[in-house]
Amino acid sequence: MSSPLRVVHYLNQFFAGLGGEDQANAPAQVKEGPVGPGRVLDSALGKGSVLATVVCGDNYVVEEKDHAVEAMRRALDRYAPDVLIAGPAFDAGRYGLGCAYMCMAAQERGIPAVSAMHPENTGVLTFRRNLLVLPTGTAVSEMPSAMSRLAAFARKLSSGDKLGSAMEEGYLPRGFREPVMHSRTGAERAFDMMMARVLDREFISEVQIPQYDMVPPAPPIRDSGRTKFALVTTGGLVPRGNPDRQVGGRATSFFKYSIGGLTELTTDDWESVHAGFSTAHLNSKDPSYVLPLPVIREFEDRGLIGVVHPHFYSTTGNGTPVTVAKRMAKEIAGELREAEVGAALLVAT
Amino acid sequence: MAKEIERFGIPVAVLTAIPMIPLSVGASRVVRGIRVEHVCGDPRLSHELDRAVTRNIVATALRAVQTEVDSPTLFEPANAPASSESAHAS
Repeated sequence: MSSPLRVVHYLNQFFAGLGGEDQANAPAQVKEGPVGPGRVLDSALGKGSVLATVVCGDNYVVEEKDHAVEAMRRALDRYAPDVLIAGPAFDAGRYGLGCAYMCMAAQERGIPAVSAMHPENTGVLTFRRNLLVLPTGTAVSEMPSAMSRLAAFARKLSSGDKLGSAMEEGYLPRGFREPVMHSRTGAERAFDMMMARVLDREFISEVQIPQYDMVPPAPPIRDSGRTKFALVTTGGLVPRGNPDRQVGGRATSFFKYSIGGLTELTTDDWESVHAGFSTAHLNSKDPSYVLPLPVIREFEDRGLIGVVHPHFYSTTGNGTPVTVAKRMAKEIAGELREAEVGAALLVAT
Repeated sequence: MAKEIERFGIPVAVLTAIPMIPLSVGASRVVRGIRVEHVCGDPRLSHELDRAVTRNIVATALRAVQTEVDSPTLFEPANAPASSESAHAS
């Protein structure tokens, strides 16, 4: 069991050095040996090595999932690795989903797999029960430590030893409970926890409740033709020239811009400053792909929409921490309520 | 974003190319768009068809905010032209 570990690694186009968002549609490709941060992984593996690297563009992997996964299956068959390692994807949502798909494809083949990403990454939120994921923050500077944790975890996975609990092994909880024998009864343990709580000491609950912040859905509107609608976009849409200096990522502000009297958005007057996807279509053809104003006006004329709020709200949804997004949304919601808006359309990119 | 606005009692239709993301974080009403770079339309089509795709998406959004839901729900634009079906995230 101590033969050198054979690893196949999954990366997105960015970390593989193909390019940024302009390469997000890059189809799956397989490269021999480690690529980019895979070299850090390769050295963390000691005697083990990265045999091959599968790379997909972030859009490709979610939009052409079946083809992307098929490419991974072929690579797994060809290289027959002991473990698949995907990422780390940090807080990149599409990349996180890609890592999740690839891990699941390997597991279907009986090959253990592990990824690393931020606990709020969509990959974890969606597939937590199917995945072994080591937690990371959002900073790429964590790459070396993430890689050495991934390498150690991969060794453990391939050893055939029984995997301990999430808390013992350091992966993100999958939401399973496993019966274990305990030397002390439940009553005794519960009593200790109660005492710890009363005395303000630390304790770890045996029943971890996921901290989903669920919001009950708002009631529907009765008649869109009698409703005031507001338009919101996270597509980084701003007046051309970006007078408010909105940023392309990690935005902490939103802006509202007048669309009173406007029936369309032209590239002469508007642009997207979003840096998380390729804005070529928006900025050279039609900004309304992130704010469908012409159709909104048409529906307003046809009586399908009562009236459109004279301002739209805009931010850049790219790596925005949840707490910041919440704060902005609260402010926007307050303004919408004040303006007696009945419903909103939010274009999320 | 959508959740906080819904918390104020205002229904929100989230138009997105990757429905799994808003659904996974608990947005109530999610409408499937085309692609990340052009959520509400499809520049690969003629202007007329492109506009028809957008109408479909916006009409679906209007249906979404007029529909009672009790959990995160995906609304698929109906009658999408066949050539726009390239963008399935699932």
